[in-house]
Amino acid sequence: MNTAHILTAFDRDLEAAQALVVRMGGLVEAALLDAAEALDTRDEDLAARVRAGDKAIDALEDEINTRCALLLALRGPTAGDLRTVLTVMKIAAALERAGDYAKNLAKRTAALAQMAPVPGASASIRRLAKAVVQMLTDALDAYIRRDLKLAEDVRARDREVDQMYNSIFREFLTHMMEDPRTIGPCMHLHFIAKNIERVGDHATAVAEQVIYLVTGSLPEDERPKVDSTGSGA
Amino acid sequence: MDDMRGTTGNLAATTTKITASGVQVHYGQSHALKDVSVDILDRAVTAFIGPSGCGKSTFLRCLNRMNDTIPSARVTGKILLDGEDIYDPRVDPVQLRAKVGMVFQKPNPFPKSIYDNVAYGPKIHGLTRNKAELDEIVEASLRKAALWNEVKDRLDAPGTGLSGGQQQRLCIARAVATGPEVLLMDEPCSALDPIATAQVEELIDDLRSQFSVVIVTHSMQQAARVSQKTAFFHLGNLVEYADTPQIFTNPKDPRTEAYITGRIG
Repeated sequence: MNTAHILTAFDRDLEAAQALVVRMGGLVEAALLDAAEALDTRDEDLAARVRAGDKAIDALEDEINTRCALLLALRGPTAGDLRTVLTVMKIAAALERAGDYAKNLAKRTAALAQMAPVPGASASIRRLAKAVVQMLTDALDAYIRRDLKLAEDVRARDREVDQMYNSIFREFLTHMMEDPRTIGPCMHLHFIAKNIERVGDHATAVAEQVIYLVTGSLPEDERPKVDSTGSGA
Repeated sequence: MDDMRGTTGNLAATTTKITASGVQVHYGQSHALKDVSVDILDRAVTAFIGPSGCGKSTFLRCLNRMNDTIPSARVTGKILLDGEDIYDPRVDPVQLRAKVGMVFQKPNPFPKSIYDNVAYGPKIHGLTRNKAELDEIVEASLRKAALWNEVKDRLDAPGTGLSGGQQQRLCIARAVATGPEVLLMDEPCSALDPIATAQVEELIDDLRSQFSVVIVTHSMQQAARVSQKTAFFHLGNLVEYADTPQIFTNPKDPRTEAYITGRIG
């Protein structure tokens, strides 16, 4: 729907809400990248900045919700406009959760800095984080461009992320069995891996909202889940 | 998709009341309605929406042959009510209009008492044998129109002395008094305030348990609130006809989307 509304203020309101969600997406991407970097380089200052930055992400979500509530109350959006408002709210919620996970990674960085490094762990986590941040970036690009194909692709990629997480899980299990002194750091690293995997789920949720926005219905097929750890979704 | 007021009832159980196929209307040289085919359900509210001059009122007026009263109007195609062609020469339009009642945009009670407004139709159609029966019909009709409690103590007062919303409900009582099967409403709330509008909408929702209701409205929110099926007309064409929740969340035709989201006038 490219044509403008007869009421131009309606367009302004819709665009403002969408601009905010894109801005929020940018902040979350940066927070995740910084958190992964801080973890990798044991940079506590950077981790502290990520933790502090979560407030701005939460504040953006509040502002998006307020604007969407006003849009619903005052403009009575229908059809594509309605789906735009609904998806903005859901994407903002998914991004807020992803932001929380970035903050959690940064918190664990501080704890991990006090412990001996686990061999090979940081490379695996770096790979997982890279894949997940790329999913989020692509999901947001798919949103901006209303790109159904890219959204489907992001959704499919979540399977790979699940597989990466499963193999990291097994890797940590082996370390812990071989050397109980690694249990402390491995537990932290496992939570970190799990949280990054969950960010992948939120990126998938964003991609699914793009599909809903464009087609008017959510994908019906159950997303393939590969979780052999028994820890649930 | 269920809505909170429950206006999206189960349509599977309803049958087709009116079948229109290939309906065309010309007013002199102007082609007002182009090849409209649609099935209108019994015991459901169907809303016609579209910009001014799109043909929705023209089509509504075909359904009880009100266009017969316009000399330049020419209607072709077929309209079946319960399988019978309403444009068959043997059909008496006056009898047809008793079966297919109509309520107009502006409340237009007769300059008579409240009682006589409702009793008029049954009297001229000879539906009653005595005063007691007529009293019964008047009361039942006023009850159906959710007006009885407000007027039962002043049935002799002039209908024109009622408030706008009450007058419109009086017109609905007048329309249901002849025992119609279909009620056509041409923007029945456009002259009413929001409270009276809500009362008439509530009434429309009640009426659909007994009638097939067809409503023309300029208020898309009203169509969304009261109807189960919505038809969108544009430039004389029926563009899209679907379940109301579908039309307002995910219409198939870009013209429908443009109209309901406020992009074309």
